Amino acid sequence: MTADTASAADVAPLAGPRPGLRRRLERAAPFLPGLAMLTLLFVIPMFIMLAFSFWKTNSSFDLVRDWNLNNYARFFNQPTYIRTFAKTLVMASAVTAAGLAISLPFTYFLVRYVSRRFQRAVLLAVIVPFWTSYLLRVYAWQAILGEKGALNQFLMATGIIQQPSTLFVYNDLAVFVVLIYVYFPFAALALYAALEKFDFTQLNAAQDLGARPDQAFRHILLPQIRTGIITACIFVFIPILGEFLTPTLVGGASGSLIANLIVNFTRQGQFPEGAALAIVIAVFVTILLVVFRRSLRVEDVVARG
Amino acid sequence: MTDLMREYSRRQFLKVTGAASLALGMGGIAAACANVASSPSAPASAAPGAGSSSGAGASAAAAASAAPTGTFNWMTWGDHWYQAQVDTIAANNNIKANSTLFSDNIDAYTKLKQVGGQLDMVSGDALWVPHYFESGLIEAWDINSLKVASQLYSIARSFPIWTKPEGYLGYPFGWSPVQIYYDPAKVSPAPDSWEVLLDPKYKGRVVVEDQPVEIMAYMGKFAGVVNAYSMTPEEIAKAKDLLKQLKPNILRLANQATDTIAALKTGEAWIATGNLGTESRVKDQGGPDLNVFTPKEGTIGWMDSEMVVKGGANENLIMPFLELAEQAEYIAANFILNGRPLFNEKAYGILVNQGQQERADRFLYNKPETVQTMDLKGPGTSTQAVIDAFNEVFGS
Repeated sequence: MTADTASAADVAPLAGPRPGLRRRLERAAPFLPGLAMLTLLFVIPMFIMLAFSFWKTNSSFDLVRDWNLNNYARFFNQPTYIRTFAKTLVMASAVTAAGLAISLPFTYFLVRYVSRRFQRAVLLAVIVPFWTSYLLRVYAWQAILGEKGALNQFLMATGIIQQPSTLFVYNDLAVFVVLIYVYFPFAALALYAALEKFDFTQLNAAQDLGARPDQAFRHILLPQIRTGIITACIFVFIPILGEFLTPTLVGGASGSLIANLIVNFTRQGQFPEGAALAIVIAVFVTILLVVFRRSLRVEDVVARG
Repeated sequence: MTDLMREYSRRQFLKVTGAASLALGMGGIAAACANVASSPSAPASAAPGAGSSSGAGASAAAAASAAPTGTFNWMTWGDHWYQAQVDTIAANNNIKANSTLFSDNIDAYTKLKQVGGQLDMVSGDALWVPHYFESGLIEAWDINSLKVASQLYSIARSFPIWTKPEGYLGYPFGWSPVQIYYDPAKVSPAPDSWEVLLDPKYKGRVVVEDQPVEIMAYMGKFAGVVNAYSMTPEEIAKAKDLLKQLKPNILRLANQATDTIAALKTGEAWIATGNLGTESRVKDQGGPDLNVFTPKEGTIGWMDSEMVVKGGANENLIMPFLELAEQAEYIAANFILNGRPLFNEKAYGILVNQGQQERADRFLYNKPETVQTMDLKGPGTSTQAVIDAFNEVFGS
């Protein structure tokens, strides 16, 4: 490559002549560590897991390369797996919807009515829980929702209930509440990033032109923060499909989600059986991401960047 | 700054950060590899016996006379040793144990199959021990070659499941049946059967550990199954029916023993299954007085041992270490720390002399023959079907 072409490429890297192989490799260099990490720690393990899912475990706990679809048949033939997966989808949808319903007004108020300085303080408060372990945070909820927990103590002290209630923990409701708590920061931060770029005078303009507040909200605000909403949905919905710790700790005997059933296999060395169930979820997530991606136009991001 | 310069700087920045990331990543990997490669090996100067190992069956006397020193790798449970014990051995005898913890037998078995001789000693339960041997992962050896083995109850030196023509498969350590603990203030009349777990009176008041195979095994015992870890499809169906009755009574599936103890302590749970000593731990933490019983239908349980890994790089250190670490004084202290019966008979004498006899007897320390009445933990043939049955009950 000549010095001239190099200069041209430097000045106009996007519009210049097609770079040579070496040039492209140079440009790609910064991405190689990330690419290597993804390949080593994600792509290859996924392929290994995919291969496992077609094998079986013998009674000696050895993996046997007997290629078959039995592990997938288990998912579709035994109603408990489909029902539990459906329950997981409902839980993930409910938590995502509730998370958006809570975080959207929160971030709207924060961006529109709170000064920049206080916004930072509030955002810090949202992020602070990440500084403590997920496990500790969920254990703390046991102490809050338990029969002798803070909530029962409060309700009894205020005379709302006379006896401690056992309804707050070790059920689906507890899983729902704790998952909202755990994933709220993800939704809030995604929405904050979107709302921060929004020009709120557009809402006034819309109302000046005769739009009602709800119309301005639906037709002006929502379309412009769609990227943030979709990002929030992805950040909340998809991880919940793999949640097993929260159901384990606060779900009791009836709070299991699909990941809990998978863990029961893997903890007993039944890796192919667990892998097949995990692959089913992974395929579902991939389909979801494709759907999300189609509604997430690149120009949305670029135009507001 | 011109556009050209800015572009050039950004590109340079990306190159530098990319190179730095790559270097850090590679450095991390190299460090990890170096750690894995170096940790199993004793320093050459500190291990005169290294490279001339006479095998795990070498006599303790021979091992002691060779006085090998160094570090060996031990995969075990956290209650098989305590810090002061390994620190003292390291300081006085220069044998260091590099311990790695595991969660369950299958976890250890799977890991050992992957790393083989990188480990030197591994702990395992009951029927898992012969399974390790049959898989070619551990060595059999003459247990009586260790002087310290004379401190064991004689029964512990001759368990048929651990006896092979090639020798004994492990150094016996501890044991416990799974028992039922209950608060007598809340549970009456006094139960004597697994049936109490299913009694509708105790809806939402039972805690069991989140171990599907074990829960199905004791439901199997309740159903009259002979081999609770290798059930036939009909037996699994019976156990599953009982599990369905148990489910509404379960407050929670405890992630670990401490969760069970916490639930009993606060009074959220009235009944729980657990290992020997649970009632003492609840009491020690300020909980209520609990009663305990072994169900009349029989129970499941575990007894564990230390196994010598076949081809372990530092196996010459294992016998000298066991000779030191299994001494009665250490074992008695371990009992006081962790509260479950161990197989060292001499340690029982020490406990009696220390005024701990009541506690030791309550934990059946002096009745090691009890292990012969339990369905011992092991790699059953029905694991997959059992998990399916468990999932069907606890899934939606």
